[in-house]
Amino acid sequence: MDESDLAVGIAEFKSAGSGRLIAYGLGSCVGLTLYDRAKKLGGLAHIMLPSSRMHAQVSVRGKYVDTAVESLMEELGRQGADLGRLEAKLVGGANMFISITQQAVPIGMRNVSAAREQLGAKGIKIKAEDVGGSQGRTVFFTLADGKIEIRKLNQPILSI
Amino acid sequence: MGYETAKFTEFQIDALKEIGNIGAGNAATALSQMVGKRVDMSVTKVLILPADAIAGFLGGIEKNVAAVHMPVYGEMLGVALIFFPLERLSELSGMLIGKNEEDPNHLSELGQSAIKELGSILTGAYLSALFRFVHIQLIHGVPGLVIDMAQAILDTVLVELEQREEIAIVIETEFLEDDKQLTGSFFLLPEADSLKNFFNAFSKSLGLPGNG
Repeated sequence: MDESDLAVGIAEFKSAGSGRLIAYGLGSCVGLTLYDRAKKLGGLAHIMLPSSRMHAQVSVRGKYVDTAVESLMEELGRQGADLGRLEAKLVGGANMFISITQQAVPIGMRNVSAAREQLGAKGIKIKAEDVGGSQGRTVFFTLADGKIEIRKLNQPILSI
Repeated sequence: MGYETAKFTEFQIDALKEIGNIGAGNAATALSQMVGKRVDMSVTKVLILPADAIAGFLGGIEKNVAAVHMPVYGEMLGVALIFFPLERLSELSGMLIGKNEEDPNHLSELGQSAIKELGSILTGAYLSALFRFVHIQLIHGVPGLVIDMAQAILDTVLVELEQREEIAIVIETEFLEDDKQLTGSFFLLPEADSLKNFFNAFSKSLGLPGNG
């Protein structure tokens, strides 16, 4: 990690105007980036679950797709991003192993679907995705150009 | 009860070590029968790790590791993981199936089954040792094998349990066959309410007050 790198832990979201935002080892979690290309301002959320609606109290807004997207948008708005100009990228939502809950649709994919839906509802275009599969991912989001690099085990780095 | 209040005392860790030794003894018997030769097992370390320290214990967040994972049901809900160092996975499967394979990332079906079976035997043995001691009835589901970054495996478990904080009860086990010495780390990650129940039952079995 360089000095200008900022790690985004599980159920966290962070924004920055330079350097890189990094989410290490996304499994079934989803990494969601929002980026205002003109202002080079963006954010990364490391989201665990599809929806906060089943929960009466939400103390950790970064944990759920709906609350994480809203909070990240608010934060970017406060910093001067043009919310109408935001573009999104989605990474993660892998299905790495047999679930204890044994739901028909694996949690990783439900996270991805929820993220697509939430972004659609907010009118934010998804510019690129690398989702699903069975492998974990580490995500590097470079604020200078909005580029996302993805590292997986035994695979070349993927840029989206 | 928050995770920070589930403080295990040295006395309790010693008790867990004893439970681990009973489990390891039973697992060694089962494993020796499976491979048709004597394999010894012993517990080298027992510790309680918070979620953010687990990847570090395994060698780093992006360290590639092999893990056998299985759901745990019964009077406690959780996930059991047995981590093996990837660089010695071929040797380990060699110990079990009698021939070494070159690439640990692409073990044969037989090699993979053997590793999963080992994980299953270990988990079964530790869970029944826990039952004898703590009287919590636990069963485990079908094992799977995953090779990936330590943090990605953990990330997936946390999502499964729908919690961002977690502690793991870790029993590090050593396998000895002839002059070969290999290790595997058993992790039991309880879901939040289950941790509370486990902790109280465990304290009670030791004659201590719970702190639920």
